[in-house]
Amino acid sequence: MPVLVACFKWVVDEAYIRRTSAGELDLSSVSYKISDYDRNALEEAARMKEASGGSVLAVTVGVPESTKGVKDALSRGADQAFFIADPSFGMLGASETAAILAEVIRTRIGNFDLVLCGEGSSDLYNQQVGIRLAERLGIPCLSFVQKLELEEGRVVAERRLEDGIERVSAPLPAVVTVLPDINIPRIPGVKDTLSASRKPVVTIGKDDLAVAPDAHFRTISLAASRLDRQCERFGADETDIRRFIGALRQKGVLR
Amino acid sequence: MDFRLTEEQELIRKNMREFAEKYVDPIAAEIDENSRHPAELFKKLAEGDWMGIPIPQEYGGAGADYLTHTLVVEELSRSCSSTGFTVSIHVGIACMLVNLFGSEDQKKKFLVPMAKGQHLGAFVLTEPGAGTDVMAATTTAMAEGADYVINGTKTFTSNGPTGDTYMVFAWTDKAAGRKGLSAFIVPRGTVGMKAGEHFNKMGLRSSQTSEMVFKDCRVPKENLLGKEGNGLAMAMTGFDHGRVGIAAQSVGILQAALDESIRYSKERVQFGTPIARHQAISWMIADMATDLSAARYLTYAAACLKDQKQPFSKEASMAKLFAAEAAMKHTIKAVQIHGGYGYCKGAKVERLMRDAKITEIYEGTSEAQRMVISGNVLR
Repeated sequence: MPVLVACFKWVVDEAYIRRTSAGELDLSSVSYKISDYDRNALEEAARMKEASGGSVLAVTVGVPESTKGVKDALSRGADQAFFIADPSFGMLGASETAAILAEVIRTRIGNFDLVLCGEGSSDLYNQQVGIRLAERLGIPCLSFVQKLELEEGRVVAERRLEDGIERVSAPLPAVVTVLPDINIPRIPGVKDTLSASRKPVVTIGKDDLAVAPDAHFRTISLAASRLDRQCERFGADETDIRRFIGALRQKGVLR
Repeated sequence: MDFRLTEEQELIRKNMREFAEKYVDPIAAEIDENSRHPAELFKKLAEGDWMGIPIPQEYGGAGADYLTHTLVVEELSRSCSSTGFTVSIHVGIACMLVNLFGSEDQKKKFLVPMAKGQHLGAFVLTEPGAGTDVMAATTTAMAEGADYVINGTKTFTSNGPTGDTYMVFAWTDKAAGRKGLSAFIVPRGTVGMKAGEHFNKMGLRSSQTSEMVFKDCRVPKENLLGKEGNGLAMAMTGFDHGRVGIAAQSVGILQAALDESIRYSKERVQFGTPIARHQAISWMIADMATDLSAARYLTYAAACLKDQKQPFSKEASMAKLFAAEAAMKHTIKAVQIHGGYGYCKGAKVERLMRDAKITEIYEGTSEAQRMVISGNVLR
């Protein structure tokens, strides 16, 4: 019976971010969600369990306010959650997050078969946590996975690459990072959400960790992206066409 | 006073929003246009335990509170108020009546499949000559051996053509006045009960509405709901629950009207600026947002009183009255903001305006709500 570990990040739901008229990002009324591709990782783990038994353990590193995210993950088929929380964990980089996850997976879970991560997070999309986690755990990592199976002690995966599809296998335990194509995440039913509150959650604080990661990142400013547009009208006669070409040259579009 | 929802309520609301965007929004205009009951959608609603939220798990429900059910009706109605209402009357009246007044056997036989969403419930009270004046009803149920025999004609029965389990109200003793009305559970297929054709309505078009004709319809005595003569009191309790649902439906319509108005008024440019920057429009939107908040708090307050097992009849009527009238008033404004585009089929605000009107009429007109409220405060 495989022990499946699904890692997830609780992120700002971008649908709630508003852009002020001054071009700033207004985060005052944002809601949070499980990072999109991490939902695919949780879903894939739940489906593997439903198909062939085993257990799903959901693991997250975040700020203590992320309890709703833990319940959300548990409502998506996970049996138990490991919630590693500290007020300073909102600003961790991929390296620190991977170090924390590795320690908790190694010391608190130990006997696991497969770790599933989303290919990248909805907010930063660094695509690093899964790969760094595998390195820390000293086990194989398969990235860009769009199809996944367990076969006699090995994981067999389809990786979608730019120039084709690669079918690879690796011995367990291993880490996979999944693409959204791998499945369509479920919408939890009412009973799924209600029963999530009754599932066990292991809460781990910063002091419980042997690694003592400090946040290497700090936010200096946050601004909406800008796309400046200029509008200049040209006619269709010869003079205007010459002016038009001149303008394109001036802007560096034509050389 | 804590106005926050629990984490579970927030997650359930968010999940319903996602469900509605995925499964309801794409068909809402079509089922309105064709007056179609979307059986495929109700199958999905049943799978997610959305059809019996406040009913205990032992009777097939999800075992959550009434506020959670209210939030779900609101979110569904934001996408399609016909669908939100069908869930509301099924859960809030049909399921609740059996849950509150049914015997253990009735709960096992009728409530379990209803709360699981396998059977759709209906509330059969209104008659051609008895709307707000419930006592003017003429349908009778005469005791005959081990049965009651029901005769009469009902109308405006929601889920009439599509229902499976009907809560039918009829006189067992007309002379007993307020103590003479009784309620019966009548399953689809009972000989002598016939649903008429679906009415071609102004709005709420995918909710199926019809006459129900009873001609020597024989139901066994074990299908009597509660005690003989308790029908009127049970109907009023059913209305109390249902009205919180209609208030939630109105809040959903109003939220949708606001969503559409904000989006359109920011895009639509007249006199060189988005119309949202014109005070005439921005003040309409301010009033809409304010009434939406007021309607929502009245609705949640009524649901919370129900969950705290306190009387909530007056509060349910207040919520329904205010939310319904706000929905009507502001969907008209939403069409106004959209101008000619809002008057055309395909604009969501056009459907919202037609759908809003019924909230001022059914489960007690606004006038009937004022009767309930004034009766309470002038007592």
